[in-house]
Amino acid sequence: MTDMKESTLTKLQYVTAIAALVLVSFHLLMQGVLVPYSTALSFQHVLSLYRSWIDGALLEIMLVVVVAHGFNGLRIVLMEFRQARTWSTWVGRGAFLAALLAIAYGTRTVILAVTGTVS
Amino acid sequence: MNLVNVTIRVQRFNPTIEKRPRFQLFTVPRKEGMSVLDVVLHARDYQDHSLGVRFSCRMASCGSCGMKINGLPRLACYTQVAELKDDVITVQPMDNFPIIKDLVTDLEGFFEKHKSVIPNIVRSDRAEMNNPSAEYLMSPEDLKAILQFTYCIKCGLCTSSCPTVATDSLYPGPQALAQAFRYTMDVRDEGGDKRFQELDKVHGIFSCHYAGSCSAVCPKGVDPALGIQLLKRHVLSGKPPRRSGEGSRLWKAQS
Repeated sequence: MTDMKESTLTKLQYVTAIAALVLVSFHLLMQGVLVPYSTALSFQHVLSLYRSWIDGALLEIMLVVVVAHGFNGLRIVLMEFRQARTWSTWVGRGAFLAALLAIAYGTRTVILAVTGTVS
Repeated sequence: MNLVNVTIRVQRFNPTIEKRPRFQLFTVPRKEGMSVLDVVLHARDYQDHSLGVRFSCRMASCGSCGMKINGLPRLACYTQVAELKDDVITVQPMDNFPIIKDLVTDLEGFFEKHKSVIPNIVRSDRAEMNNPSAEYLMSPEDLKAILQFTYCIKCGLCTSSCPTVATDSLYPGPQALAQAFRYTMDVRDEGGDKRFQELDKVHGIFSCHYAGSCSAVCPKGVDPALGIQLLKRHVLSGKPPRRSGEGSRLWKAQS
């Protein structure tokens, strides 16, 4: 990913932006329609969502999309701070690694909840 | 407004002997049709010969007298004193360029970036280029797509106003990118792929955040922001708009 062309990363940024808008809007809409916002964030309700494989898969997709968009955006911002080859290389690698860690940790949570390990 | 005199506040700075810029006030007699360049030159000729200013054509063609006038990048020869409402006119060197002396900035890096986008028509048929078999014409529609970008006089005002250039020294800047668009869109050109390699990298064309200040300050009415956004579309697709000179073949005049 760190060796990708900027045009490819820009396309990724555009696609994830649109996907995040659609998914998060859908997510918020469903929570607002199905249950009142006051109870939507209660532990048991959130857990009940993860119990469903469909909801779990949706949350996983949302996680990947938002993390990819956020960390690529952060990379773009950090690139403007300094103009040096080593800075660019390490910012690229750092953003990629941080995104992978965030996705790994989030995926762990989704899997634990979906398989019923957390109750 | 003082109808007899014009007061001008000039930023003075010689980086070889001074640590920070200072301002100096000059009062010169007002004349009808006076430009800011006329005021600066009057101050230099009759009050302080050491005032550094670069100019040439005095008719907005050469792009030499770019400077910041009352906070906005403008051509001094193209800015009438009468159109400025302030009693005191403040002139400073252009932002985003190293200062050589007073109002004179170093444009070397600017021209290097201009050169980096290959601002000329590139073709593979070298023999035909050297000995053309016919005149290569453009259709009026094809010309219209690039015409405004051919008016660029490389004054540097767009680059001086660009917030991305201010933070990213490797970013080519609006002038170079607009010229990259101008030549890539030229139906006779085949150098799009080479140009895209230069633009499609970190600190390249995608660093433009579309502030649009470049278009707001251009004295020739060029819209670099438009050119950059249109060029982004082609770089994203990875394909120059026309390949193998098909457009130019269509319009090659019959000899």
